[in-house]
Amino acid sequence: MALWLFRGLRKGVVTTRYPAVTDPWARGLPTPPAFDERLLSRALADRLVEICPSRALAREDDCLVLDVGACTACGRCISQSAGAARPSRLFELAATGREQLLKRIAIGSGEIVA
Amino acid sequence: MTGASLGAGGAAAEDRVAQRLHDARAMFGRSLHIRTVDTGSCAVCESEIRLLLAPHYDLHRLGLFFTPAPRHADMLMVTGPAVRAMDTALQKTYAAMPEPKIVIAVGACPLGGVYPEDELAHGSLDRVLPVDVFVPGCPPSPLALLQGLLVAVGRLSEKVSGESFVGSSPGGLDL
Amino acid sequence: MSDIGARETTPGDQGKAGLGVTQFTLEGRCREREDLVAELARAPGTRLADFFGDVEEGGLVLRLVYAIESGERAYKMLDWPVVGGTYPSVSDLDPAAFVEECEIYEQFGVRPEGDELLNRLVVPPHAGHEFPRLGAAPPREGREPHAPHYVTGEAFEFPFGPVRAVAQESLYMGLVTSGEEVIDLYLLMWHKHRGLERRLRGMSLGKALFLVERAEGLSAVANSWAFCRAAENVLGVVAPEAVERARAIALELERVYNHAAAVAALCQATGLSVGQAQAEIALEELLRVNLAAFGHRYLFGTVAIGTMGRPLDEEVLSRQLPQAYGELRRVIESLWSTNSFMDRLEACGIVTNEQARRLGLVGPVARAAGCDMDTRRDHAFGAYTGSVVNVAVRERGDVLARMQVMAAEAEESVRLIRELARVGPPGDGRADGAGFAAPGQETAAGRGGSALGWCESPRGESLAWLSLDPAGKVRRARLRPGTFRNWRAFDDAARSRNVFTDIPIIEASFWLTVAGFAR
Repeated sequence: MALWLFRGLRKGVVTTRYPAVTDPWARGLPTPPAFDERLLSRALADRLVEICPSRALAREDDCLVLDVGACTACGRCISQSAGAARPSRLFELAATGREQLLKRIAIGSGEIVA
Repeated sequence: MTGASLGAGGAAAEDRVAQRLHDARAMFGRSLHIRTVDTGSCAVCESEIRLLLAPHYDLHRLGLFFTPAPRHADMLMVTGPAVRAMDTALQKTYAAMPEPKIVIAVGACPLGGVYPEDELAHGSLDRVLPVDVFVPGCPPSPLALLQGLLVAVGRLSEKVSGESFVGSSPGGLDL
Repeated sequence: MSDIGARETTPGDQGKAGLGVTQFTLEGRCREREDLVAELARAPGTRLADFFGDVEEGGLVLRLVYAIESGERAYKMLDWPVVGGTYPSVSDLDPAAFVEECEIYEQFGVRPEGDELLNRLVVPPHAGHEFPRLGAAPPREGREPHAPHYVTGEAFEFPFGPVRAVAQESLYMGLVTSGEEVIDLYLLMWHKHRGLERRLRGMSLGKALFLVERAEGLSAVANSWAFCRAAENVLGVVAPEAVERARAIALELERVYNHAAAVAALCQATGLSVGQAQAEIALEELLRVNLAAFGHRYLFGTVAIGTMGRPLDEEVLSRQLPQAYGELRRVIESLWSTNSFMDRLEACGIVTNEQARRLGLVGPVARAAGCDMDTRRDHAFGAYTGSVVNVAVRERGDVLARMQVMAAEAEESVRLIRELARVGPPGDGRADGAGFAAPGQETAAGRGGSALGWCESPRGESLAWLSLDPAGKVRRARLRPGTFRNWRAFDDAARSRNVFTDIPIIEASFWLTVAGFAR
């Protein structure tokens, strides 16, 4: 048992200080997408809805609805969106109501207007 | 759309949830016992939940404990898409827990992201149990689980409703 | 085989033999049991790797996948059209087929001639005739698994589950015990059935891959790689060498973290909390290496058709892995010299070599029982064709042997990662997402076809058979994770003169998932 004691002492404390401090490694966690509405067009939105494997995206007229709860952060939309979607880098997503996780994103012109 | 299932009850149901959460927090103060139920997960959420007890996260330091008995549990932590074959076990576990009790849905499966509602699964936990806290992620990392637990006991406030997931420079992590 | 239909070869297979890639060939259609016997006798090193049903236009066809372990080292498949409600028993020839016969009965309603005693596997007892299955419902459901012993007098049955200890998968164990000694044990595994193979029907490849990963999250890389290999074979897509190397690295990372988790679970089961804490530190650090190298703690989404779904950061990997693995190695070394731990492992949960062969076990459980097999070496694929994989084998078949195998495998995995990373420039860092969407629509259009893919998961040989329709959608996908094979030895291991508290130890040493069995 002395062996284990020694090992424990040598390793020291590894415990996270979350929520006071967020660990730096958490930066790399997969996160749901955030959208640049200016680059979103209806056609692009429809394509993203089509490729989302977890039904986290839906289009309602001129809105793209992102269901953060259903999103698995698989990254398919980000890779297919030509810059309109990128990782939100938000992982503290706990919600006390399901509707808090539904995000409506207004669809813009599909290009950045100077 | 999964949100549709929330319609029933509307504001009254929400008030009830808020009241229950408030009661639960007042009762538990800073300590609480958790029971886990797997309703058809892929085993990865379980792995992340087990790691909450590991030295890196050490749930006990926050006054949170897992319990092997539903009668000692204040919180039910559910993974998986609520497969119908687990209905009886899930309802029995829930019923065996003393009031007030909190239900926390862990991962994209109980939030309706992986399986649709059909003959095999309810597809979303809120179709069978009143869910108090939702923790998205596939799987939610132990840190996300910690946040969910702390939100559930009222020691952190939820952040997600303030986020728009829009914009060329999203908020992101403050590191 | 004599008067059997035309032989077909799946597209994409031709011309690969010269590269040292094991072939998968469709051998033809078997009409008679004699054909099957002849086929089995022809190649002595033949192992029945999988057996499943498939509803074709002409009716139900049973498919037998054989692994040829000597000589040509290939996977071969025999088709066996079923006429009427029965077929000649396969488990008479090879007992390993019994679980698959139960599955075929449950899902397609046909049973082997003369065998009335088929067990319930994943269809829950409350399920009626209309319960979603792959084919027609059987006239009568399989019988409930139960303890074959007459429970009376000294012994009683202890029901355990389906909701078990903290964050354990749902599983019902019926333990027959006299209070201490486990006399018998049976499992009910239908609680987690999600009908995955049925859901995959009609899906595009990209969406199918998403579900295949989630069949068994702890083998996500292995199962999705097997599935992608099958898909690539049908589509005629060849993954670039750098992609194959990155996949192999992901697969080895998956093996290392799984074995670390198994060690942590073994410490927990033996009540060695200090060892558990140390092993969990190693596990967490390995998961963070996964995150840093591939962008996902459990490597979801890394394998895609013809490409990488997530880019590999080889520089980060080579910097962080040695430290994280060093953590695990030191824990394991300390465990070898902790007597209270070792005493619980020795002679506990024995699976004999004879049982392992008879039941068709795979992976560490089989290797710990003296079966020298590993698809990475015996049926080398992808980046393994150019590498030497040292396979760890032990003879005793107890928990200790399994842990020794896992420890040696983790060591070998880290060596392989180092070797793979040294071979050439870093894998293509771009994740263009093409593998999730594009090939399904382009290449498969108007063609269709079928192929088998295989991989060595941390739990053993993982197989995926895929048939695409001309529109490029999944017509039938069969997933057979290593887990599916190994659970059938669990009750034998539990019965081998163990006491009650040995059961969690045996479960940890098998390190299987219910998700992968019940799918």
